Amino acid sequence: MTADGALLDVADLRTRYPVRRSIADRLARRPRQWVRAVDGVSFSLRRGEMVALVGESGCGKTTTAQTILRMVEACGGVITVDGRDITGLSQRRLRPLRREIQMVYQDPYESLDPRFRVRQTVGEPLLVHGVGASRRERDELIAGALERAGLAPASLYLDRYPHELSGGQRQRVAIAAALALDPVLLLADEPVSMLDVSVRAGVLSLLDGLRKDGRLGVLMITHDLSTAAHFADRIAVMYLGRIVEYGPARQVVNDPRHPYTKALLSVVPDRDPRVRRSAQILRGETPNPVAIPSGCRFRPRCPVAEARCAEVDPQLERPAADGRDGGGHGYDAEPARKVACLLA
Amino acid sequence: MTGTTRPAAGTPSLLEVRDLHVWFRLPGGGELHAVQGVGFDLAAGERFGLVGESGCGKTTSILAMMGLLPPNASVAGEVRLAGTDILAGGEDSVRPHRWTDLAMVFQGAMNALNPVRTVISQIAEPIILHGKDAPWAAGSRSRAAAARKRAGELLELVGIPAGTGVRYPHEFSGGMRQRAAIAMALACDPKVLLADEPTTALDVMVQAQIMDLLVRLSEELGLALVLVTHDLPVVAQVCQRAAVMYAGEIVETGTTDALFHDTRHPYTRLLFAATPDLYADDEVTSIPGTPPRLDRPVVGCPFLPRCDSAVSRCESERPALRPVGARQVAAAPRAGGAGLGDDRLSQPLIVAGPPDGDAGHAAACHLNDLVEAPEREPA
Repeated sequence: MTADGALLDVADLRTRYPVRRSIADRLARRPRQWVRAVDGVSFSLRRGEMVALVGESGCGKTTTAQTILRMVEACGGVITVDGRDITGLSQRRLRPLRREIQMVYQDPYESLDPRFRVRQTVGEPLLVHGVGASRRERDELIAGALERAGLAPASLYLDRYPHELSGGQRQRVAIAAALALDPVLLLADEPVSMLDVSVRAGVLSLLDGLRKDGRLGVLMITHDLSTAAHFADRIAVMYLGRIVEYGPARQVVNDPRHPYTKALLSVVPDRDPRVRRSAQILRGETPNPVAIPSGCRFRPRCPVAEARCAEVDPQLERPAADGRDGGGHGYDAEPARKVACLLA
Repeated sequence: MTGTTRPAAGTPSLLEVRDLHVWFRLPGGGELHAVQGVGFDLAAGERFGLVGESGCGKTTSILAMMGLLPPNASVAGEVRLAGTDILAGGEDSVRPHRWTDLAMVFQGAMNALNPVRTVISQIAEPIILHGKDAPWAAGSRSRAAAARKRAGELLELVGIPAGTGVRYPHEFSGGMRQRAAIAMALACDPKVLLADEPTTALDVMVQAQIMDLLVRLSEELGLALVLVTHDLPVVAQVCQRAAVMYAGEIVETGTTDALFHDTRHPYTRLLFAATPDLYADDEVTSIPGTPPRLDRPVVGCPFLPRCDSAVSRCESERPALRPVGARQVAAAPRAGGAGLGDDRLSQPLIVAGPPDGDAGHAAACHLNDLVEAPEREPA
């Protein structure tokens, strides 16, 4: 793959977790059941780009990120980072690559060690990976990462403990720890949902600025469509382990094609009380991924499903109305919008 | 849905909160003045939002109304329920009204259900304990059976089939557990429901279902709702009126429409600017700084250090909550000017939604007092 190619390319990724079998199940020789948490996910991300993975809890967003990090093993598909296939690499050969992919977790109150000063938290990845020959060199890298994360001057924060920091500052420390190794890919799992409204914008702008520098790409996992619409270049809407709609953020928000995307957008409350959207409230919640419905997986909750939706499992492709030719070839063109719906 | 629904002139409000103060005694000595003169009115069937950042006194205010603060807290002010001050006699005067008149859905209640008891038995428990004289208990064989029947009805009311009540909390989804927590608060037929962040941590679709349920309950049962949240869009869509809290006091109040379209306090404006909107392209900005510490008196306007449009007067004088458009001539700064408790108590009190006011839109900002349209000075 060329240098201007995809930084991250995920093709038909599948991850499943075994369901525990009871003794009765074993005696009856019932086959083992699997939770198909990620069930054929494909997307790509370029350097300098932010892609948002949105969907309800349990749709497989976080498992997708964990599989990309190889924290859980994929049972199918290919993950390519910077042109290298990392799907089959042994843990030993993967280790140097871990520097390239870093994760920012949801809750900085949980993810930071309360007994570690900021210096230790941000410096630990350097020690683990043996980066920085001397203490002085490491201190410089730590200060650089803190300042890149918006905590300047770094000397003000280096010796503080997490409890001496505000929520927004804690998340910036977590981001600095991720940046210390100068990764090319940042996975941010709900990076602001635990933070106060007043500081969310700051942390999101930080991530936005980092990727706009062009050194890295950001995969942001969020359930907040407004955030995704504002900060991401592209949005991938996940439902039950699959991406059901994927395209440029504004296009997905302003002209959604999948009935699930339409429903999700319709229930986002507007801050203007005069704007009343006709909320299309779907009944129930995401079905159990052990028993994924036949045909289209969204069919049981879909307001417009037809008989044929029970038979055909729709693939993620360009909607017929958008035309099949032009665009979408190579990574230089704006990737085309794709929808997994027979009726799109 | 956004019209004012304050009771007509002469009709008493269902709930009147007047000049509510809460102080916490701190372990190392000293006091934290967490709630500093909060007041609002509520009519039956009305939905009122309390919004602001964490630590601004929203939850403390409603816990004080329920008489549920820890022993190191002292409370002053009135909470009048149909004219009677339920805080006047301490715990003895609150207890008869707690759950039967005033009920609360706690933050994270959905995760606080007992994991080893069925959902229906947990809803029936308060009914057995509190509802012995309730009309629906008459003619039943036993209180337990009546309570179980009532619990089933409550589950149906919040949209859970009564038959599923025999399941355990872990067999319920997050949305169903939140519905069960709401059903539990409704067990004794309250008139007012105080809900603390009921939609936080829920998915957008489930959040919409719970918002829908709260609106339906207030409309069908005439339940008055106080919704505590940091989520402005939720308040905009659910509530008719709201109050924005900052540093323990209400800094702006009015109809949700007035708060959005005729914003008077810089804090309200910045809160809206920090909330991304699905379709708007305006830049989302954070509010610099943090709220002030409340364990020492605040001199001047508490929002001053974070304000982008402060004038010199904001440094010396704490602004009072005054009706919007009143164009009051500024009162001369009081001697000292820094003492905040007494100072505030002596000022004419404006409560959110005075029964005889027009729109009840009020703000605690000097810019609002001085001129009709706030003059913006560079920060």
